[in-house]
Amino acid sequence: MAASNYLSFTAREFALDEDFQQWVLHPEEKNVFWEKWLRQYPEMEPVINDARQLVHSIRFRSYSLSATDKEQLWDAVWHGLGEEDEPATVIPVSRWKDAWKYAAAVLLGILLSGGWWWMQQTNNKPVIFSTYTRLGETKSMWLPDSSEVTLNANSRLLYTETDHGKREVWLDGEAFFHVKHKTAQQKFIVHTYDKLSVEVIGTQFNVNSTGKEIVVVLQQGSILLDIGEPRKGKAAELYLESGEMVRYNKQDGDYTKKRVDAARYTSWHSGRLIMDDFTLTDAAAFMQQVFGKTLIVRDTQLLHYKVSGSMPIIYQPDIMMMQLGKVFRMQFNQRGDEIWIQQK
Amino acid sequence: MNTGKAFQSGLHVVASHSSLWGRFLQGDRHAFAEIYDAHIDDLFHYGMHFCQDNERVKDCLQDLFQDLWITRDHLTANIQNIRYYLISSLRRRLLRSLRKDRRYQHRESWEAFEFEFTSPLESQLILEETAEEQKRLLQQALSSLSRRQREAIYLRFFQNLSYTEVAEIMSMQVDSVYNTISKAISILKKNISLPLLLLLLSK
Repeated sequence: MAASNYLSFTAREFALDEDFQQWVLHPEEKNVFWEKWLRQYPEMEPVINDARQLVHSIRFRSYSLSATDKEQLWDAVWHGLGEEDEPATVIPVSRWKDAWKYAAAVLLGILLSGGWWWMQQTNNKPVIFSTYTRLGETKSMWLPDSSEVTLNANSRLLYTETDHGKREVWLDGEAFFHVKHKTAQQKFIVHTYDKLSVEVIGTQFNVNSTGKEIVVVLQQGSILLDIGEPRKGKAAELYLESGEMVRYNKQDGDYTKKRVDAARYTSWHSGRLIMDDFTLTDAAAFMQQVFGKTLIVRDTQLLHYKVSGSMPIIYQPDIMMMQLGKVFRMQFNQRGDEIWIQQK
Repeated sequence: MNTGKAFQSGLHVVASHSSLWGRFLQGDRHAFAEIYDAHIDDLFHYGMHFCQDNERVKDCLQDLFQDLWITRDHLTANIQNIRYYLISSLRRRLLRSLRKDRRYQHRESWEAFEFEFTSPLESQLILEETAEEQKRLLQQALSSLSRRQREAIYLRFFQNLSYTEVAEIMSMQVDSVYNTISKAISILKKNISLPLLLLLLSK
């Protein structure tokens, strides 16, 4: 609604306006419109105050669930699902459900084969492992099959293994894999966010699915990419040799392959940032992915400014920002999650 | 990204980590726990206003969260408002559960979606008498609202659902939601004098 239309409103009409209610009931969601409007028409303040009181006077009796009840209910939910792989927690007997209901829920869970895939495998005793990293944090670990994985910041990984030795990983974010070769050609497959999977036998490679593209870089060995919905005219399967990189566009399924210096893309897992014609745009992508910080420049020319060299990655945004500022010879100023950049 | 299509073609799709719902759909238990923590209080509050039966509300909530986890593969990836989805699901469960119960007879319960009037502060004893009287009058006036009307007001003001969402949950026209709220506000406006209002708000 146009700002001037509100001028003829009565307190009652304001109190009825959905947007106005939102502003009054949820001051934590900043509403620029109303703040500006009130500054513009200060004479409306008495009406607004009346309306505000009307909205506030609509209240309801409170009922609350105690912390213990909340926990017990949560445990009952999991117990009902037949979960037993959380060894540390003692599962109390639910007061709210009869045993047959648990049984029914479990049976239903088994019948619904969809996402309950590991439950179907119960008899095969699949190895399940899942982990994640927060912003500004990386983790290196051994998977149950002795393959090594380094997970970059803000990423998630899920690992399963079947009796037949097929290993599958679901990755959301970026990870460097050093897959241990197993006898009998047992497969190791990395599934990504979009329709791209990487199938390997024994090798070292990096998968990054954080941006608009999925970037797969092979450092050593050979891998097969399986592209679910490739762009017309492009193959759905693609072999990569060491030192090759594939950039896959999540939007249109298009991809390109080229030869690169793999270390540039994989060095992060050993704690170094290798900068080879590294632009401010690359730095921005790095700060965004690892720390969730957004770089802002007034002069877009600066974005093309390049540097080469390498530096250690320190998982502290302030220090990283300072180092990048030095390298680029620019002023990096932090304001919340934004980093404003100026030429020195 | 068309996850639905990809799912049909039998491919494994991991939804975006940017959204809590997306992570939940992938089977991330932390995300599931986060959803539970974020909504359990408000869902319980709604359930208690709906039927004032603690055990029944807990039963329905347990079923709701279990089914949510079990059926997550069949849920839509681009959900607009998780709260809306959970509340409408809880409402259906409560209705079903109440219908099955023979002891339950459909009755207009005043406790359902009862408005709260906070008592004035003790230091303002002089005003208290007037406040009590006004409160009684207001309560009387508000009793002209039906249970359904009170529920609609509750969903908008307490649960922060939009007029459209309220209309959808209650199978009403958006216009009647609007009219209902308009009616409630008129009653409040007519019956609450400013001093009382200030008292109500001062708590």
